[in-house]
Parts: sequence; C-alpha cells; structure tokens
Amino acid sequence: MSGLLLLAGGCLIAITVTVLGALLALASHLPLDALWLALQQQETVFALRLSLYTSLLALALALLFGTLAGYLLARRSFPGQALIETLLDLPMVTPPLVAGMGLLFLLGRDAPVGSAMAAAGWHLLFSPAGVILAQTYVATPLIVRSARAAFQAVDPDYAAVAGTLGLTPLWAFLLVEIPMAGRGLLSAAVLGWARALGEFGATLMVAGATRLHTETLPMAVFLNIASGETEVAIACALILLSMAFALLLVIRLLAGGKSAGQGQFQHA
Amino acid sequence: MPELRLEAVTHPVLGPLDLTVADGEAVAVLGPSGAGKSTLLKIIAGLLPYQGRLTFDGVSMAGVPAYRRNIGYLSQDLHLFPHLSVENNIRLALLFDRTSVGQRRERTRQILNLCAIAHRAQRRPQTLSGGERQRAALARALARHPRLLLLDEPFSRLDRSTKQILWTELGTLRRHLGLTALIVTHDAEEAVTLADRVIILQAGLLLPAAATPPWDT
Repeated sequence: MSGLLLLAGGCLIAITVTVLGALLALASHLPLDALWLALQQQETVFALRLSLYTSLLALALALLFGTLAGYLLARRSFPGQALIETLLDLPMVTPPLVAGMGLLFLLGRDAPVGSAMAAAGWHLLFSPAGVILAQTYVATPLIVRSARAAFQAVDPDYAAVAGTLGLTPLWAFLLVEIPMAGRGLLSAAVLGWARALGEFGATLMVAGATRLHTETLPMAVFLNIASGETEVAIACALILLSMAFALLLVIRLLAGGKSAGQGQFQHA
Repeated sequence: MPELRLEAVTHPVLGPLDLTVADGEAVAVLGPSGAGKSTLLKIIAGLLPYQGRLTFDGVSMAGVPAYRRNIGYLSQDLHLFPHLSVENNIRLALLFDRTSVGQRRERTRQILNLCAIAHRAQRRPQTLSGGERQRAALARALARHPRLLLLDEPFSRLDRSTKQILWTELGTLRRHLGLTALIVTHDAEEAVTLADRVIILQAGLLLPAAATPPWDT
C-alpha cells in the first residue's frame, strides 16, 4: 500500500511540476517592465475588451438557452431524449475547429440558413457577432449539462408546494427553483464563461483572425506568436491564465458548500 | 352548503371516491401506507390529475390550477424554501395577494404570532427544530386565509411530546379560525384528536368508519 501511495505521490508531483513549470516559463519569459508595456499595447487592450464583451454576451445567451433546456431535461422525459442529450453533448467532445467548420458551412452564403440571414441583413460570419456565436456554441452544452444536474438536485415538490401558495409555474421557477439550484447554476455560469473566454478553434473558423476586429485574447496569442511578436502574445496569455485561475477558484469555492434542497432537513 | 365535495373521483391508485366535507369541519383520513391518502390530498390541492367531479361550494375545480384554488397544503416533508427565512417563506405566499405592502407585512406578523413562530422569523428553516419547522410551515399554509387546509401526515416525524403540543395548538387554531380541514394520517390517536370525523381509506377506497382499524389490531 505504501509503495502504491509513493507511486501516486510521484505522479502528483510530476503533474504539478509540469503545470507549474509551464506557468513559470511563461511568466518569466518577459521582464516586468516589458510585460507592463505589452499589457498597455492597443492590441492587448482591444483583445481584452473584445474577449470580455463577447464572452459575457455569449454567457448571457448560453445561460438563457442552457438553463431552460437543462430545466426541461431535468423535469420531463420525452421520446428521443437520449438522442437529443447525446447531440447536446457532442460540442463538448468535438474539436472546436470541426464545430466551427460546421457552423461556417451552416451560415455560409451558399447554405439556406446563411443566405436567409444575409437577406435579412444579418452578417454573423467574420465579425464580432461570429465570435459571440462560436463562444455561445461551445459554452451552451456545458451549461445545459450543469443546469440539468442542478435542477435534478431540487425536489420538484417545492415547485408544487409553491403552486399551492399562489405562485404560477413561472413564478415558482423564478422564485423557488432557480434560487434553490442557484449554486449549481452559478458554477455552470462560471464554467461556461471560462469556456467562452478561452474559445479559439470555432472562433477562428466562424469569425476569422483579423487584428483589431475579431481579435479575442486567444486569437491575439495565436496571431502574435505566428508573427513573432511574443510580448503581446505573452501578455494576453498571462491575462487568460489569471482569469482562468480566478474562475477555477470561484468554482472550487462554490463546490465547497452543499447544494440547496439536499439533505438539510433533519426531522426531530 | 358543503364546502368540499368529491363525486366518483378516480385516479390510477384511488377511487371511485365520494366524500363531502362540510364548512368548518375537520375530517381525518386514516389509512395504512400506500392506501392513496397523499394522492387524495394532492388531487384536491390541484397537484394531480383525476377523473370525476370535485367542487368547492358547488363550483367545479376541473381545470383550475393549484395556484388559483387557495387551498393551504402542508406536505409531509413541509417543503419550506431553504433559501428564504421563515418570514420570507410567508411573504412569498402573500406576494400575489391583492393587498397593500403594509397589509401583507401586518398579515405576516399576525400569522407568525398566531403560530407561535415569530421569535424564529429571521431564521432559515434548516436551522429550526422539527416542531418549529412544523409551525413555520403551518403559518405559511395559513397565510392566505385558505378556504381549506390539507395536512399530509403533519406530525409523523416528530417525537410524541412535541406532537401532543402541536395537536393541542392546531386544535385551538382551527377552532379560532373556523378552518375546514382534511387531515391524512396513519395514527388513529392523531385522527381522533384532530378531527370531528374519521374516515378510513384502504387500497384506494373509503371504508365505513371502524373503531379499530384492521391494521392496528
């Protein structure tokens, strides 16, 4: 047993050292004054702003669609549910580049959907709107999955009792079920936001990589590494890392408490 | 005119049932587990579909959703909302009352005092004792002046001494408010103590009242 623990400890150290090594290598690549300058560059500031703006909008859309879809999946059974749930999980395991390619073909001018949208004056491809679309696409399945689990943890009888207190199903959902699933939904939101912030592959296909136009933080890393301008690339990478670390910390803190509606009643 | 009337009410685990509860009357439905007692209450509360005729004061409840029936329902697990204080659990029940904010505040204070739970108004349900939770849930169920109170095994999870205190308190409260009530229980003593009349439900059917229910012998 002690031999196994020793081996496990060695694996843990190896993984931790590798992660830490990569982080330190990145952080120490630039002297502090150069990093400060890179952080103030117009391109870095633009990428940060665009990433925040698009990822927050994507998060709002993903939360709206994902929460409602997750609620339905948690509360009702219907024919073909397994197939639909598998389809919804697909974007989580598909390489984002492939998902982006699918969206590109769906929304291209030659496709019926794309031509109809173009006729209506909506130009999603190769624009910041395309960035939002790609980010929403990758964040939504995560939120659906987490929201479904969060609502499954809430006894549906709470909503039924809320009905006997005069609350319509919509108010019971808003005032009882959502707050009771709140911790799970908040975790879902943080996870979805982190996924949207780091989105690269699908964004590249749908929105393209145009400096100061569709240049999110991951895109800025890619463009600047490709052109050999490592300062901005490192600055953007460090911003992404800091945000991801903060979001993971929030998820960990949220997971620290018990889910609402679970096991808090100990009858006398 | 009778307050509540069920005529040939059926559900996959229940009926056909005929039952009349008069205005101001308390009826206990006594029966073993699985007899369909909770199902009966849920049908009356509007939480389960049924076939047959269910009326209040002669008005059919067919198609009337739970939120329009104004029935106080105390479930076995109470289902106090854990994210709200006791006071806010009650205020939520009054949220859509067509009264002023001041009147709702006054009603909340009144019902908290009536159910002897005012001293725990700011506490979350999960921090209360079993008896206090029961009082809080009863206060919430009574907040909207319901025309009927449904109690599903209300005190089954309490110790005997707490149960006896609450039996007395509920009896006083019921007489004071002139409440019509339907109480589901598998405890014959509780049924006799709380109700004016006891009916027996077994395997989904109402039996003629007996002094000793068959499952208690």
